[in-house]
Amino acid sequence: MTALALRRASRAPVNRYDQAAALWLLAPMLAVLAVVAVFPVLYSLWVSFFDLRLTRPHRVPFVGFDNYVDVFQDELFWQSVWRTTSFTLICVVAIMLIALAMALLLNEEFRGRRFLSAMLLVPWAIPYVANGLMWKWIYDSGYGALNGILFQLDFIDKYMVWLGDSKKTLWLIANAFVWKEVPLATILVLVGLKSIPADLYSAARVDGANTWARFIHITLPSLRPSFMLVVIYETMMAIRHFDLFFILTEGGPAEASHVLAWHVYVETFRKLSFGTGSALAYIMAIVTFVLAFWLIRALGKKL
Amino acid sequence: MKLHRLHRRDFLKSTAAAALAGSGAFGALGRALAAEPLNFFAWSAGVDQVKAHISAFEAKTGIKVNYGNAPWAQYRDTLVTKFVGKAPLDVLWVSDAWLPEWAEAGWLAPIDGYPQLLKYNADVDDFSTKSMMWKGKQYGLTYYTDYMGFFYDEGMLQKAGISAPPATWDEVVQQSLKIKKAGLSEYPLMLSMARETWLIEFLSALVFSHGGRFVDDSGAAVMQDKNKGAHEALTWIVDAVQKHRIVSPACVEIGELNGLKAFTSGQHAFAMLGRYRIRTLNDPKQSQIAPRARQALMPRGPHGKNATVGWNRFYGLTTAAAKDKAKAAEAVKFIEWFVGKADGQYAFQKLMFTDVGSGFAVKSLFKDPDIIKAYNQYSDIKMYEKQQALAQKKDVIAPWFGEWDEVNGTAFQAAVVGKSPIDDALKRSADTWNKLRRRA
Repeated sequence: MTALALRRASRAPVNRYDQAAALWLLAPMLAVLAVVAVFPVLYSLWVSFFDLRLTRPHRVPFVGFDNYVDVFQDELFWQSVWRTTSFTLICVVAIMLIALAMALLLNEEFRGRRFLSAMLLVPWAIPYVANGLMWKWIYDSGYGALNGILFQLDFIDKYMVWLGDSKKTLWLIANAFVWKEVPLATILVLVGLKSIPADLYSAARVDGANTWARFIHITLPSLRPSFMLVVIYETMMAIRHFDLFFILTEGGPAEASHVLAWHVYVETFRKLSFGTGSALAYIMAIVTFVLAFWLIRALGKKL
Repeated sequence: MKLHRLHRRDFLKSTAAAALAGSGAFGALGRALAAEPLNFFAWSAGVDQVKAHISAFEAKTGIKVNYGNAPWAQYRDTLVTKFVGKAPLDVLWVSDAWLPEWAEAGWLAPIDGYPQLLKYNADVDDFSTKSMMWKGKQYGLTYYTDYMGFFYDEGMLQKAGISAPPATWDEVVQQSLKIKKAGLSEYPLMLSMARETWLIEFLSALVFSHGGRFVDDSGAAVMQDKNKGAHEALTWIVDAVQKHRIVSPACVEIGELNGLKAFTSGQHAFAMLGRYRIRTLNDPKQSQIAPRARQALMPRGPHGKNATVGWNRFYGLTTAAAKDKAKAAEAVKFIEWFVGKADGQYAFQKLMFTDVGSGFAVKSLFKDPDIIKAYNQYSDIKMYEKQQALAQKKDVIAPWFGEWDEVNGTAFQAAVVGKSPIDDALKRSADTWNKLRRRA
């Protein structure tokens, strides 16, 4: 079939029988989606307008937007927003830089490249909970590997407090997050690197461009689509991240790692205040959506 | 054709009706023949001992028991969800921390109407019975009661030339500095102050031993009052970490279990741990300081009397079970079998004590030769009993306890790590308490 014939076929009106059949065939999946996705989303929105506490089942007053107002008036909420922003910035910048460096390395031909590529995937393959437990051991102030190595190398003269030091906590959790997320980002950047035509570099060489000039004027601009993907994905992941905060610090010490996702968890599952928890979750979802939309618009324009 | 269709429809209708009627009739008959089992839910502790005791109960009474359990960490959430979802529950294990919340929600029924259960109160420690009461009604019978203990490594003290354990918190500082100076331990006192359910137990023990309270008899917060002990206790902790450096600044990341491991590895001279941990501390297979671990009375503050905090886990009866007379009668038999006397003795509590080392509130068990023999193999039963008599129930147990505990733990931690002045931390805790109390 020629291209013209295909175009014509695609424009041809769909048979009413086919439309009905398609609808019937899709109906079971639509029903499943309605039950497992649409209903919970709408129901949680409904819940966010009530003062619903599981431990007070007989009194569930309608409070309108009070839950949202309470959230915005809560000082801890704004502190957690600030901490989440800091955590996200630290993580995304670190992931971008490390992933770029790793991708540039793996884009070169050298002995052991394939082995290194395979090894790179190991952190990605480890589940977040296992990753958290591993870093908990590493950071432990009594028997942790980090203290052990630094002590043996004479960088420290006594064991240090890591996660228990509120000035270091967020950085250490960010480190564990970056370690886990770098492989995927590297692969995405590497795919971008592989798609840059070699002719561009050859032409630049003929024009006398040195390595740095080629990197700045060819490699980086060509990687914009990959960067956009990485920035959006990792920003979403960092904003919503919960597992490491749960395993490593439970939001502590004091409130040093009390981020938004932890705030939602505490309200919903520790205080069992589902009204406020739902309101918080909606605020978080809207912020994430707006941010993603803005990032796509801002970065997309430059593509 | 029409006739044929009618016949077919009639046939289908009558078949369906017969099937429905049959299933209903047989269902009712089935339920009548096979009585519904008693639904018992607990956390995953002493599972083998519980199962064995259930088997004995079933054999003795003919009442079938449907036993389920969930891990302690998820127990409250699991049970709350079960209650809200109206899952079948008749008897369950309850922690004193959740009693007001569950009683106010109407999920637990008082046992005041069952004299065959209340008669056991006469043989139970007073603080333990108080821990099962809410608004003047008793909601269960305890199977496990314990308290926060103060332990020391006798060998380390002897090496430092210390002949007797500290009796006051000032002496803890002095002895710790001596041990530190001798190079025996960098942080002689082990305190676990990570954010977990244990934190309130540690804090309460410190506050009570300073003669303090979090709230007064009317339920108003007094923790912020400089004359009510909590301020004194928090000041002592902050000084111990920041000024004397006898407690590791890492205490805010050390949970109870890790604290136990650190103490058993010989890193510390003193530790605050659940009393039942003495069995592990003096077990050579699990502890490097065995058999040198000793229990002392909780040191006292300038206005304190060696008091400590006690906790209580008990068998509770659900409202749903209490409404059904026959079910309630079975449930009461079941509770008595486990917590009261089974075949003339406190069989389950003895079994749990000898097998697992968990504590009890039954005073007469302190005179039981089997108990004395078992306990004296690794500790001193007289010290156990003496400290238990000085235990107090947590004064912050209220329907809003969980919410307040989140803030209080954070506030104490903030003071310990130097992020917040002591006054501010306690004011925050008190303000939260009063706000939640007003809202309730």
